[in-house]
Amino acid sequence: MSASTTSAHDTYRLLWPAAMLLCYMLLVVLAGCGPAEVVVKGDFPAPTMEKLPLTIGVWYSADFANHEFFDEAKTKTESSWLVKTGQAQVQMWDTLLAGMFARVVPMVGRPGPGQMNPTVDAVFIPEVGELQYALPAQTNVKVYEIWIRYKLQLVTTGGDPIADWTMSAYGKTPTAFMQSDQAAVNLAAVMALRDAGANFASSFTRVPGVQAWLQDRLGSGQEATL
Amino acid sequence: MRYTIIRGLLAGGVICLASGCVTSTVDQMVFNKPTEGIGNATVVILGRRHASDYDTEPDFVECVGDHIASGDRSIHVIGELEFVNDFYPWFEPRTAPLQLADLEGLLQRQPVVAERLASLNTQYMIWLDGSTVRGDSSGSMTCAIGPGGGGCFGFGTWSSDAKYEATIWDFTEHAEVGRISTTATGQSYMPAVVIPIPIIAPVQGTACDGIGDQLLQFLSSQS
Repeated sequence: MSASTTSAHDTYRLLWPAAMLLCYMLLVVLAGCGPAEVVVKGDFPAPTMEKLPLTIGVWYSADFANHEFFDEAKTKTESSWLVKTGQAQVQMWDTLLAGMFARVVPMVGRPGPGQMNPTVDAVFIPEVGELQYALPAQTNVKVYEIWIRYKLQLVTTGGDPIADWTMSAYGKTPTAFMQSDQAAVNLAAVMALRDAGANFASSFTRVPGVQAWLQDRLGSGQEATL
Repeated sequence: MRYTIIRGLLAGGVICLASGCVTSTVDQMVFNKPTEGIGNATVVILGRRHASDYDTEPDFVECVGDHIASGDRSIHVIGELEFVNDFYPWFEPRTAPLQLADLEGLLQRQPVVAERLASLNTQYMIWLDGSTVRGDSSGSMTCAIGPGGGGCFGFGTWSSDAKYEATIWDFTEHAEVGRISTTATGQSYMPAVVIPIPIIAPVQGTACDGIGDQLLQFLSSQS
């Protein structure tokens, strides 16, 4: 009995590493079945520009602040993708707006009748209308690309529209040696966000509704220099 | 005499085989060369990224900057990423000035940009435009693995082409003062007898040296 117990222990001891290895391999295989996930992370520089002498409010909806994009695999050889851009979007817009306006105030709630909010000149509301991506495996072109279409709104604290426009952003990164698909998609997303900031900063004062509002607020002389 | 020629050809062949063969040409047209160097002024080298089908590689821009800085330690070259971040959003692919007049317009519209540029004491802005592309490839290779080991057998070869142009803007003269272009073509090989041995032609490196040497001649007082 004793000998038989020792033998069972020995067998168990010998099989234990093999069982662990099997479990590990199973976990790797199962992990491979899940979507490729990218939580976009990057550094966004503050803009170098003359600040508009205005106090701007900013409201990020929950959809925007937690924005993610899921693309389900169409074939067994492809992988599903989950790209989470919300955190990076908020980080980029916060940095950009703080460099463009004299003061930026986060809003408590979406501007509208009855909604209590701090007093500001106008409230800026960004939304992601659409996000598309392309991988080298899908396009046979050796670049990772991301397109973002924004729906942007400028409203009064009471929620009345001042301007409503769309803006596109694009980022790409070449296939990099020894770089994972996830890292390349992250870099393409960061480039797209930088492009969004550049597009917004260089075109904001030329948006027709915004132009009229700025002329009203600042006078034509100051608005024309921006 | 005959042995010398044979030895020369052999040496050339060995060098060619060891690193791949590259041929390159450099053309330049420059004006207003700084006769006593650029003194305390700085130089910034930036890559063009506005084309839809190619981007000037950041590592090529870095290579040219390093080539100039290592050739003349007195020349201070500002890093591309540092400059682009400092002047965000004005040197992004969408917003970067394509002509000197565009940059002057930006400096008038945005005095804060002009002030920051003046604080860097930048005399020259050099734009690099181009890319290295992989061309035709041929050959075949078979790899196998078994209980006794593995290995590959075969031969592959491919060509690479580099084409770059540097445009020099002089801030003190408010003018474009030079254009330097370089092309380089090389053939890489990968023979495999059990282990594949890549013999890579340094096409981009040759283009970097070519354009870097000409820029160094232009900027440095030592040449």
